[in-house]
Amino acid sequence: MPTREHILLTTREMRKRRVFGLLGRSFLLLVTSVAALAVLAIIFFIARDALPFFRISEASDFFFSKAWYPTHQPPQFGAAAIFVGSLLVTAAAVVLAVPPGVCAALCMSDILPFNVRQVLKPVIEMLAAIPSVAYGFFALVVLAPLLQNHGGRLLATAWWVLALPTLGLGSVVAADLLTPVRLTARAHGVMRSVLTLALLALSLVILITVSRILGAVQIASGVNALNASVILGVMALPTIVSVSEDALQAAGRELREGSYALGATRAETLVKVVIPASISGIFSAVLLGIMRALGETMVVWMASGNAAQIPKPWYNLLLPVRTLTATIAGDMGEADQMTGSAHYHVLFAMGLSLLVFSFACNLAGEWIVTRQRKRLRGC
Amino acid sequence: MTLFLLVVLLPILIKGSSAYLFRATVEHRRMMREQFGRGDARRAAEEHAAVQEARRPIYEAITAFEAELAELPAARRKALRPAFKEVRETLALLLGPDPGAPLPALTRRLYGQTRWDQAQEKAERLLYEETWDYSGGEGKQVYVPREPLFEGTTLAPVFPIVRDNLRELLQPRLTFYPRFLTDRSFDAHFFGGIGAEVMGTVYLALGAMLIAVPLGIIAAIYFQEYAKAGPVLSFLRSCVNTLAGVPSIVFGLFGLAFFINTLQVSSGKSVLAGALTLALLVLPTVIRASEEAIAAVPRSYKEAAMALGAGQWRTILTVILPAALPGILTGTVISMGRAAGETAPIIFTAAVSVGPLLRPSELLTQATPALSWNLYNICTEHEAVDEIRHVQYGMAATLVVMVLVLNLTAIVIRARVARRLKG
Repeated sequence: MPTREHILLTTREMRKRRVFGLLGRSFLLLVTSVAALAVLAIIFFIARDALPFFRISEASDFFFSKAWYPTHQPPQFGAAAIFVGSLLVTAAAVVLAVPPGVCAALCMSDILPFNVRQVLKPVIEMLAAIPSVAYGFFALVVLAPLLQNHGGRLLATAWWVLALPTLGLGSVVAADLLTPVRLTARAHGVMRSVLTLALLALSLVILITVSRILGAVQIASGVNALNASVILGVMALPTIVSVSEDALQAAGRELREGSYALGATRAETLVKVVIPASISGIFSAVLLGIMRALGETMVVWMASGNAAQIPKPWYNLLLPVRTLTATIAGDMGEADQMTGSAHYHVLFAMGLSLLVFSFACNLAGEWIVTRQRKRLRGC
Repeated sequence: MTLFLLVVLLPILIKGSSAYLFRATVEHRRMMREQFGRGDARRAAEEHAAVQEARRPIYEAITAFEAELAELPAARRKALRPAFKEVRETLALLLGPDPGAPLPALTRRLYGQTRWDQAQEKAERLLYEETWDYSGGEGKQVYVPREPLFEGTTLAPVFPIVRDNLRELLQPRLTFYPRFLTDRSFDAHFFGGIGAEVMGTVYLALGAMLIAVPLGIIAAIYFQEYAKAGPVLSFLRSCVNTLAGVPSIVFGLFGLAFFINTLQVSSGKSVLAGALTLALLVLPTVIRASEEAIAAVPRSYKEAAMALGAGQWRTILTVILPAALPGILTGTVISMGRAAGETAPIIFTAAVSVGPLLRPSELLTQATPALSWNLYNICTEHEAVDEIRHVQYGMAATLVVMVLVLNLTAIVIRARVARRLKG
């Protein structure tokens, strides 16, 4: 039989345990803080090396001048063209990636059977796992020569492949939604068929016209903003799909079943109920996609052509551009690293801008999520 | 989506495999023997003799033509000389240096074409001259055969030999070259393999994991088991979230400014600095994965351990961590793939374009070549980008396969765990 002494601890042992527990606890907190405060260290050190630049040079020049001649005497550090390049490539990538991404997420959460979803998940994961330099290699060695030699045909084919299902499906869904509800069943059916046919014909006209225009395009150089945007779009897809799929899943079964119970079709349920309910999640997916595209280095460095210019007209994606990330990566070798030249500091200033922008996106995302959570709790 | 995956992966994997399995010429075998000391000497001597026999008429024709050229009328000599020079240079590229000539200084000039596909290209270049035709307004590339130019001279027999007997000249044979993965490269990737790059990537990824995994697990334990909700916790959490959103190139800048210029962990770029930077990059992923794994451990496990009298420490170490281990492993493996594939953070902290295979003792101080950086480097900054396409594809395929194998492992582990939890 264990005696009382065996079960209860002596005061000394109690104290020992408490001290050890406290020590362990503070050790954990310490390590965790190191991990978490790394981000503060990043901000501090990037800012420390970025601020001297603004002492040397005018901030307004940096943001608004287009003269980027870092190696001239005296050097000029006008990064406007580079900022525009970054924004242009990112915007184009997001515009290209969001519609298919959200459609894919919709398919995965509401349309495709469970088994297909189980297969698609690893595929998306693998798409996300491919290293960015491999994407860049693909852009430079495979896609760029194709664009250069068969640009028009390639664009037209891509347009058909992407737009045919989108417009086809879109017209069916739109017809379903546009048909007035207060009709007899028969009139409803007829009306819907007529609308569908009309919309399909309209989409076909659009398809053919645009593919004609695209087919005639000649591309001077395969490394350009379009190439980089396409690849960035593909890279942002997994993020957009998985995050917005999570959001769509989170909308819940009850909501969908309620909608069906009120007599809504599947298209109506999706467009009028599920998407509005999960719109904030989709927004944060888009934000994450933007962050991914903006912060990506290797692809834009290899595929965007690296010419510090603002395309004319600004939406002309077929011209080469230069982005912030590519400039940092490419110029740090030339910038005399140790001596802290102006060129070195300007690259840190660009890094700081990237950092600030990604923080802004992060905060916006968190704000949206919190607001949504509050709203859900409210009702 | 699958389509995208295939479109990107297939060209890389198919062409990448040609770095390992290809039709190697006799020059490849000669290079292997001289540089790596591999191959059967007796068979090589026989092969060498046969090839020399096949090549003899070419070299004889060249010697004869050199003499003939000196006696030609000045105008014709002037017309033929540049073309002859080009033919000779291409021939040296194709078959290696002339038998009698002094050995060239560059290693790449020591051997002819080692790969049959490239040899055929070079032979085309020998037989046809590439010019531009501007008659239609826009320039158009045309190929003019060289043979008529040398009609009637002693050089003329060279062309039919190259056209019809290229196989005898180079003896292509399907070769499997698995040691591409481990061989050192020499003369800027013209020959050899990618051993130094592969090992550099492995060192960097392992180093990053060695640093990030303990930190990540400890942080996850703190978040899940110890932390009480409050301002400190939410602050730490949003720090970790923000860290996940920092662009990878900014990590590179930070590594340069902090680890190298401020802490001076090494005098310049080093594997250590790169691994530290990469560790920060993957830390949020590791923390998140470990947290999920720990959260997924059923509460009853913990309660049972507590009820048996184990303290919190003992519960965590003997019950929760072992149960969460597969999940943590999944996260670790995925992050390792990420660390292996990242380029931007190591540009300023760890990577060099050309370097030897590092010994473990040099890891703390020396920079290393790495697959990701060198892939960029040899397909943009290399002096002969088109000549080493196979190395580029091979490198890309190796990197992609490494990363995908890691990810597949993770997927398999996760599927197993899910099945086990279901019972």
